[in-house]
Amino acid sequence: MNRQQTLWLISILIIVFFIAFPFLYGRKDYDYIMHVCITGFFYAILASSWSMLAGYAGQFSFGHMAFMGLGAYGTALFSHYFYLSPVPTNLCTEFEIGDQYFIIKNAVGVTSSTLDQDCLTKALAVWDGSIQITPMPIWIGIILGALLGGIFGLLIGMLVLRLRAAYLALFTLGFSEILRATISAEIKITRGQAGIELPYLFENGISIFGHEFSKTDKIPPYYVMLFLLLACMAVLAWLAKSRFGLFVRALREDEDAAAALGVNTVRFKIMVFVITSTMAALAGAVQAHYIGIITPNNLMILQMSLVVAMAVIGGLENFAAAAIGAIIIQFLLELLRESFVIGGVEVDMTLWRLVFFGAVLMITLRFYRNGLITPIIEFFTRAHVASETVEKRGFQKTEDVE
Amino acid sequence: MLNNQKKSMLELEVKNLNKKFGGLHVLKNLTFGIKGPELVGLIGPNGAGKTTLTNILDGAIKPSSGTVYLNGQRIDQLPPFEVAKVGLGRTFQVTRSFRRMTVLENLYVPALAKHVAVDKSEVMRRALEVLDFLTMDHLRNEYAQALSGGQQKLLELGRLLMLDPDIIILDEPFAGVHPKLMEIIYEYIRKVNAEGKAIVLISHQMDSIFSLCKRLLVLNYGDLIADGEPEDVKHDPVVVDAYLGKDDDEDSKSTNDIKQNST
Ligand SMILES: Nc1ncnc2c1ncn2[C@@H]1O[C@H](COP(=O)(O)OP(=O)(O)OP(=O)(O)O)[C@@H](O)[C@H]1O
Ligand SMILES: [Mg+2]
Repeated sequence: MNRQQTLWLISILIIVFFIAFPFLYGRKDYDYIMHVCITGFFYAILASSWSMLAGYAGQFSFGHMAFMGLGAYGTALFSHYFYLSPVPTNLCTEFEIGDQYFIIKNAVGVTSSTLDQDCLTKALAVWDGSIQITPMPIWIGIILGALLGGIFGLLIGMLVLRLRAAYLALFTLGFSEILRATISAEIKITRGQAGIELPYLFENGISIFGHEFSKTDKIPPYYVMLFLLLACMAVLAWLAKSRFGLFVRALREDEDAAAALGVNTVRFKIMVFVITSTMAALAGAVQAHYIGIITPNNLMILQMSLVVAMAVIGGLENFAAAAIGAIIIQFLLELLRESFVIGGVEVDMTLWRLVFFGAVLMITLRFYRNGLITPIIEFFTRAHVASETVEKRGFQKTEDVE
Repeated sequence: MLNNQKKSMLELEVKNLNKKFGGLHVLKNLTFGIKGPELVGLIGPNGAGKTTLTNILDGAIKPSSGTVYLNGQRIDQLPPFEVAKVGLGRTFQVTRSFRRMTVLENLYVPALAKHVAVDKSEVMRRALEVLDFLTMDHLRNEYAQALSGGQQKLLELGRLLMLDPDIIILDEPFAGVHPKLMEIIYEYIRKVNAEGKAIVLISHQMDSIFSLCKRLLVLNYGDLIADGEPEDVKHDPVVVDAYLGKDDDEDSKSTNDIKQNST
């Protein structure tokens, strides 16, 4: 078995491990560990798609969490404001569709006062349980959220075409902050800092192979997020191997030279923004339905730096390394929450773990520019290359002597 | 074959080309043409506008006025990647390899960019052929950043072979290159030219220019002050005055070199 095959085997083992994990793990902190896994997968999608954008294509965007937020808020607002009803409310904006009415709830913001209720709540009060309204299927919201992310990815991609390095970082940072500020400020629509609630992924529970899962059970969202991660990884792997991967790396290295050699750099730059933004938005939408609430704080710069740090520690220029890095770091950050006592002094790890994390990041940046996981992967994929070259170089040298 | 048809109509036409950077008139009403697989030297003092002309022909910058046609197609308003596909390739005065990509990957970029549907094994075969010609076969899996400056120049030339354009502009291919490597570049220019590609060679090394080129264009602060056979151009009083004759030592040295080369 050569190294390439070994790598394949290891990858498959890791995937099989995660597929089997919910059935292997049996401790009483089951739900907590499952939650850490799901969140780890979520960050893995963000880190690996960001590695495609920043590592492969060299577009150091700090707006990735904003696209995540667009997906989350996209589906949140969709499920919050749109409903189907068999009879008209005569209070809301509504359209007849077939034998149903498409209801658009009016925005009233955060309120518990009975004075200011939305039209649907009022209608429901009048009906007093005699009429059943139907919420929108969440998968439509998730798809719309992903599309919203993709559309904004297109816009931002076009706006930053001429921007390089630091300017692109600042621009995307600005975009991200503007979006967060807008969401916080538009209290009436988004409920501002209070956040907006979403139905769970499986609001009415789900039955798999005869086993009933409730809406808060971890197994269904675990597999949804794992599947999403694997799907994103498959797409990224295909992109990285295809001409797309070759061209975005070429434009990262030298845009003018790539263009002079026939690469439509504009198109590929925009494409990489659209694809990675869509992935971030998709992950955001699914995660929001898993958690059940999204707040503007999820779009904070701190969150973005976490994704950046995960990708950098794993390996920026290898999407798989970034994903593995994200999952490992998510676990470490959670495990390191355990405070301990050393020499009678209690060390509060909830605070110190971030220091530890920062130190790992700095060491990685200083000594392992390719990240901590990439070298392991390259050991299997590129190791033969160096020795081969040395051999041939020696051969060449003797040949050169005339 | 289709290839031959294309080559028979190889023609670059530059008409009344002007370029101004603000108040600076860098190219002044240039008109010239290249027909068939010519080997043309483009010379002129520093700041004459040679690189600017290259950038305009390649589509990287747009002219202030004037037109450029390649094989009957207007290219002066096209972006560089389309100009490359129409059939014009160029190197950069300062080498621009894709540093954190392997030598082979560097070569794949133009080949895959030019044609949407290509046989990857065919591209691979071509790339190995090119590396063999450039004597860089042993470096194929190295990252370009691990190559020496001269090898990176060769790699740039190799990428052009993979792009397979009709006309190639080489901006200072000899700068900072060891004589042995220079031999390879000489051979490259002769071979590529013999295969039916037109070449524009920009260089300050008069001996190379005179030994390789059959036609010279002389730019002097934006003016095309001469266009003709090297021998005529060399004795053109305007050129001597503006460029060649500035330094008597230089002139005699380059003349000596020509004698050496022609023996
Ligand atoms: N982008 C630009 N903006 C303003 N001026 C420019 C620009 N590019 C070139 N120039 C000016 O145009 C003139 C011609 O420059 P160019 O680089 O074409 O000269 P060159 O003939 O290639 O010189 P060299 O032999 O030194 O390479 C110079 O005066 C230069 O300062
Ligand atoms: Mg120049």
